Amino acid sequence: MTVALVLLALLGSAWLLAVIEGWVAAGRLRPAAPLLSGLAHLGRESLVPRQPDRLFFETAPVLLLVVAVLGAAVLPLAPGLVIVDLATGALFVNAALAYVLVALIMAGWGPNGAYAMIGGWRFLGQLIAYAMLIVMPITAVAMRAESLLTTAIVDSQAGLWNIVYQPLGFVLFFIAAMALAFRSPFDLPTAAGELAGGVDAEYTGARLAVLRLARLLLVVTLASATTVFYLGGWHGPLLPPWAWSLIKTLAVAASMLLAGHHLPRIREADLLGWCWKLGIPMALLNIFVVGLLILGVP
Amino acid sequence: MMIAGARQGRPSAIQKLVARALARDLRCLIVPGPEVALGYGLDVTATGMRIADSPRDAGVLLIIGELSEKLGEAVAVLYAQMPRPRAVLMLGGPTPSSLPDADISAGLSQAELIDATGRLQQALAENAFATSPDDFDASVLHARTEYVCPMHPEVVEDEPGTCPKCGMDLVAREAGNDASAAETTPKHCHDHEHNQDHEHHDGHEHHEHEHHHGHDHEHHRGHGHDHGHRQGHAHEHHHNHDHEKNPSGAHEQSEHDNGGHDHGDDDHAGHDHGAMGFMSMVEVTQDLPRSADGLQMDWIEAPFGPCFPGLPGGLRLTLTLDGDGVAEGQATSLVGMSTAIEVIDAETFVERMAAAMPLAPVSYRLLACRAIERAAGLEEDPATARACASALERERIASHLGWLAQLGRQLGFAWLTRRATTMQLATRRASLDRLVELRPSLRALTVRLRHTPLLKARLRGIGALPGGSRNLRGPVARAAGSGSDSRESDAIYRELGFEVRTGDAEDAWARLWQRLVEIMASLDLVEAAGEPGLAHLRDIDSASGTGEASVETPRGHAQLSLTLERGQVTSYKLDTACSHHIGLVAGLVEGRELGDALVAVGSLDLSPWEVIS
Repeated sequence: MTVALVLLALLGSAWLLAVIEGWVAAGRLRPAAPLLSGLAHLGRESLVPRQPDRLFFETAPVLLLVVAVLGAAVLPLAPGLVIVDLATGALFVNAALAYVLVALIMAGWGPNGAYAMIGGWRFLGQLIAYAMLIVMPITAVAMRAESLLTTAIVDSQAGLWNIVYQPLGFVLFFIAAMALAFRSPFDLPTAAGELAGGVDAEYTGARLAVLRLARLLLVVTLASATTVFYLGGWHGPLLPPWAWSLIKTLAVAASMLLAGHHLPRIREADLLGWCWKLGIPMALLNIFVVGLLILGVP
Repeated sequence: MMIAGARQGRPSAIQKLVARALARDLRCLIVPGPEVALGYGLDVTATGMRIADSPRDAGVLLIIGELSEKLGEAVAVLYAQMPRPRAVLMLGGPTPSSLPDADISAGLSQAELIDATGRLQQALAENAFATSPDDFDASVLHARTEYVCPMHPEVVEDEPGTCPKCGMDLVAREAGNDASAAETTPKHCHDHEHNQDHEHHDGHEHHEHEHHHGHDHEHHRGHGHDHGHRQGHAHEHHHNHDHEKNPSGAHEQSEHDNGGHDHGDDDHAGHDHGAMGFMSMVEVTQDLPRSADGLQMDWIEAPFGPCFPGLPGGLRLTLTLDGDGVAEGQATSLVGMSTAIEVIDAETFVERMAAAMPLAPVSYRLLACRAIERAAGLEEDPATARACASALERERIASHLGWLAQLGRQLGFAWLTRRATTMQLATRRASLDRLVELRPSLRALTVRLRHTPLLKARLRGIGALPGGSRNLRGPVARAAGSGSDSRESDAIYRELGFEVRTGDAEDAWARLWQRLVEIMASLDLVEAAGEPGLAHLRDIDSASGTGEASVETPRGHAQLSLTLERGQVTSYKLDTACSHHIGLVAGLVEGRELGDALVAVGSLDLSPWEVIS
C-alpha cells in the first residue's frame, strides 16, 4: 500500500513537472501533453545503433529509472508514508544517486557514438564537481538531527526549517542537486547545442520514453530530498502532511526547471573550479557554523 | 493519404490511438536549420511542433527552401536515422532527389506552414502505420564492405577470414575508409563520400541480417574486435554516419529479431570489450599523435553539422576529438554560392542573389542592384537610397537578433532563444513606427544579458583569434577594435550621422556586445533614415559595362563586381566576409574544449550561404 502510494505520488509529480516544463518551453499549458508524448514514444521505432554494447545500451535507461525510485524509497512523504525508513537513510540517498553516474556512462558507451560517449564521460567530470557538495551539506543536516533517519531529519526541523537554520547548506545542496539531475545549466552530458542530445542522442522509441521518465523522476527525487533535508518535509499548517510534502517537492522541482531556463550552460572547467575552490570551503564553513549552533544554542 | 515513412503494423484500436498521439506530438528536424526558417519569417513553434535536437528525436523532417546537392545527400542520411513513422514536410522547393517524395508540400509562408502541419497531423493520425510501408534505400546509402586485419593495416581482403600474417579474425569496414590513416593523419578534407559509404554499409549489413543470420554472427564478431581495439576510431563513432541499423521499414520486424539475436550473443560482448585483455592500451595508442596535455588517447573524427543544433545549418564542422578536446578542426559549407553562372538577365540575377542568401536577402538584393546600376552607368537614386539604408539597418537588427537566438540554442539558454526569436520575427519586416515601438524591449534585452549570471564566464576569453589573423570584417573585426566599416564612406550614412563603434577585445563576449551595440545603433539609423524600403532594380534597358558595388552586410563588408552585356549579367565576382571568416575556424578550435570550440565558431556568425566556392 505504502509502496503503491509513494510510486503514485512520484509518477504524479513527474507528470506535473512535465506539464510545467512544457509550459515554460512553449508557453502553453497542455495537461495531456506528457501522456501523449509517452504514448507517441511507444509508437515510434526503438532503433538499435550499429555495433552497440548491447548490455550497456539496454541497461542504462532502466538503471537510471531504478536509481531515481531507489532514492525516493527512503524519503518520507508523511509520518509513516515512506517505503523503507532506513537507519542510514540520508546516506542511502547519496549512495543510490551515485549510480546515476554509472547509468550515464553506460548510456554514453553503449550506443557506440561520439556524441553519446563524450556526454557520458563529461558526467564523470561533473560528478567530481558536485559529489562533495551533496555529501557535505547532508552531513550538517544529519548533525542537527543527530540521526541519519530521514524521518528524524524532518522531525528535527519541526521548530525551524533547515533552510533558515543552515541557508548556506541549502544553497550548496540545491545547486549540487541540479548538477546531479543534469538539468540546464548543468546539462553537460545531454547538451543539445554541443552534443545534439549527448547520452540521449541515440535512444528512440520505448527506450527513450524510459530515459525521459527516469530523468523526470530523478528531478522529483532530488526535489523531494531537498524538501526532506531543508524544507521541513511534511511540516506545515492546515493541509495534510503528504500534501505539504508534494507541494514543497513540486515547488523545488519547478524552480530547478525555471532556473535552467534563464541561464546559459556552465563550462565544465568553471563548474569544477567553482565547486572545489568555492563550494567545498563553503560546505566546510557550513558544517562548522552548524556545529557552533548545536553547541551554543541548546 | 499515405506516409512514405510509415511504420509497419496491422491496424488495431491501440494502433489508432497511438497514431493519434503521434500526430499530436510532432518533433521536427529543421533543414537547413531554425535560423533559416526565421530568415523566411516562419515561426515553427507556433504550429505546435517542437524542434528536435537530433534526427533520433524527430518524427518530421521539415525542409525549408531548395537544398543544394551536397546538403540533399547529407539530409538523406539524417532521414534514414529518424525512427519510423517519419514524414517529410517540404516548404518552398522541390524535394531533394535523395529523399522520397515529400508527404506534404507547401509554400514558404507562415499560413501555409500552419495549414501544412494540420494536413500532416491528419495524415499521420490516419496512416502512421501501414501494412507494407515503402523501403528507403537512397543511392547515397551504398558502399562496399572490405575486411582488414586489426594489426596489419596492409592486409585487406574482400571476404571475411583470418589474417595470413597473424591469424587474427579480419574485421569489416567500409571500403574507401582507411581507419588507420584517419587516426594517424586526421583527414583535413573530409568530404561526404565518407558519409555515404558508411550509411550504405548499414544497409548492407542489414541485408545480411535479413538473409544470412549465420553470417551475421561472424560479421558482428569481427566488428567487436574492431571496436575493442579502436574504440573511438574515426568511423566507428560518426554520428552523422548513422548508426541506423534499419534504414527500411519493411525490415522492421527483423530488427527486433536481430535484437534477440545480438542480446544472447555472448561472443559479441566478450569480443567487444574483452578484447582489450591481450593488447595493452599503451600498444594500441603508441603510434597515435599526442595532444598538448600529453595524455595519449584515440582520436575521433566526428562531424558536427550540417544540421547541428549548435551551429548554423548548412555548415559542416569536422572535428578531430582528443577526449573532449579538439585536436583539429575544419569547416566547410554545403550550401555555399557558386560563382559559375550562365548568362541571365539583370532582373533574374537580383532575385537569385537575394534568394541565395536566406540570412541576409535585403543586403544582397541591394548589393546586386547597386552593382548592376553602376555597370549600366546609372547614378545612385537619392530618393530611394535612404529607404534602402533603412531596410539594410533593419535587416542588421533582425540578423543580430537571429544570432542571439542561435547563441541561446548553443548554450541551452532557452529564454534568450525565445525572446530573440520573437523579436527577430517582429523586426524583420517591421515598419518604422513598429521598430520605434520595439526600442524599449531591445534595450531591455541588452540590460538583461549584461546581468545574466554565468553568461560572461561562458563567453569571456573564448574565441580569441590566432595572432596575425587578417581579413576580419564586420562585427567580428569591430569587436576587436580594428575593423573598418564600409558605411563610413557612404554619403547617405554620413548624412544620417553614422559613426563606427568598436570594441576592444577579441573574444565571444566582446562579439556579443558588439552586436548588441550595433542593434541599438542601427535602430538609431533607421529612425534617422525613415521608412525602410527594399531595393528595386531600375530600368537599365540593354546597357553594357562593368560595375562594382559594396554593402556592409550584417556579417561584414561584401563586394560584388559584374559584367553586363546588353542587359544580361555575363560574369560576376562576389567577395564576402564569411568566405574569409570560415578559414579562421581551424585556428579557433584547435586545442580547445569541445564546448568552447563550438562557442568560438558560433561567435563568428558564419552564414554558410555567404561562403563563395
